Amino acid sequence: MNQKKTTVTLEDLLRLKRAERPPAEFWDQFDRDLRLKQLAAIVEPRPWWAPLIKFGAQVSRYQLPVGAAAILALSFVTVREYRTANFAQPEFALPQSSAVSEPAPSMATAQREVAVATAARATYAVSTPAKPVVPESVTNVGERPHSAPLPSLTARLNSEPNSPSTRAMAANLAAVQASDPRLMDDVLGGTGRVTEAREPVSDPLAQISAPGESRRSRLLSSALSSASAVPVSVGTSARVARHLTEERLYDRVSRLDGDANRLVIKF
Amino acid sequence: MALFRFARGWDYSLRSQVMDAVKTLGKTLVASPDRQQEADSDISIVRRVQAGDVAAFDQLVLKYRERVYGVVYHLSSNREDAADLTQDAFIKAFQSINRFQGQSSFFTWLYRIAVNSTLTHLRKHRLRTFFSFDKIDEDDHVSAEVIAALTDTTGADRETFARELQEKLNEAMQKLSIKHRTVITLFEIDGLSHQEIAEVMECSVGTVRSRLHYAKQLLQSELQAYIRR
Repeated sequence: MNQKKTTVTLEDLLRLKRAERPPAEFWDQFDRDLRLKQLAAIVEPRPWWAPLIKFGAQVSRYQLPVGAAAILALSFVTVREYRTANFAQPEFALPQSSAVSEPAPSMATAQREVAVATAARATYAVSTPAKPVVPESVTNVGERPHSAPLPSLTARLNSEPNSPSTRAMAANLAAVQASDPRLMDDVLGGTGRVTEAREPVSDPLAQISAPGESRRSRLLSSALSSASAVPVSVGTSARVARHLTEERLYDRVSRLDGDANRLVIKF
Repeated sequence: MALFRFARGWDYSLRSQVMDAVKTLGKTLVASPDRQQEADSDISIVRRVQAGDVAAFDQLVLKYRERVYGVVYHLSSNREDAADLTQDAFIKAFQSINRFQGQSSFFTWLYRIAVNSTLTHLRKHRLRTFFSFDKIDEDDHVSAEVIAALTDTTGADRETFARELQEKLNEAMQKLSIKHRTVITLFEIDGLSHQEIAEVMECSVGTVRSRLHYAKQLLQSELQAYIRR
């Protein structure tokens, strides 16, 4: 007996969707298109990365050993590169000591060289018109004895980039100093003259007057205008006299304003 | 003894319902023996193709073209796109058949290719959605029954009503996210088990069940007007 369906569930509705089918002729066209695409795929040249994909697929079977080997190789190469970089540094520093022809320069010698190099740089700076201001380190170097330790200068040079030209200049000057000390004295004497010619360095804070002082002079000037009998400094009275001429005083006095309990004079 | 009496006391209809439920559960958990047989025959064809018998691939195309097309069509709701994507899936399968190692069944592998390329296509053309439907097969007795039940109550013209219902169904499907749509298509329309869907979508069975539940809830609310209890 064929019972009539009365209830419709979501599953029934979705089954209805299953009945959406293309007609038979659709499949003929589908097969033709597929055949063409298949032939095109066979004829089409393979991209250059196709072997890589194949290789990757083969390697992917051994993920763990390949990954571990890759990490090991990478760490080995990194450590090796790091060591090479460490060894390279002293080799780079060698010409500095060989140019001075000393086997192992002590700390004091190195400081001396650095001081001489800085002096030479300062001399160059003085002779160049574009840079008339001499660095402060020049005076320090000129005044210091060569054997004295220079901790601040050493620290500064540690922080400064040590260029090859500076090192070359230092080496040359050291060589000159060793062969002809008088010439070196002349050079250092010139530096001393530069030091003398330079203005004495004064503390900028000392040049600034205290704010209370200016206020005091202003108060004094106002008091002078009201009571001129009080002796004040010459500068202040002159300034007051210059600012308060008779004409201006009369002009200003005209700008009076008054209320019942106050009087306002506008200057 | 008490258990026996309890079993005898069962209503026949209740017993048949339980048996149906058990069958359904079995279907959702593992692949059916038919599927297993199918998979074995597929493997032998694939081995032939891998050995160089390219013409053997046509057998696989003939066997699976409708099912693959159905999945892609229900996912995209566009027959032209579905045809192109199905062809592309077969081409991809043909090109990479040497990489198929038989760890899963061939149809799961083919489905995975088709579903993945469809999902990529849908994501790429998310903003461009055109509907282009195949006609509902009038010879299909289930669909005829459903349409008859709905038109008898509404009194509408069957053909017009069927077209409207088709549009509403496809609209409701397109409102689902791509993943939910895939799960509902594979389970309700194509009849795959949870395990098979999990293999195709490369996720867990629990995820499949959760997605299925959520998708059904959404569809239920969207198609409330057409559901008769």
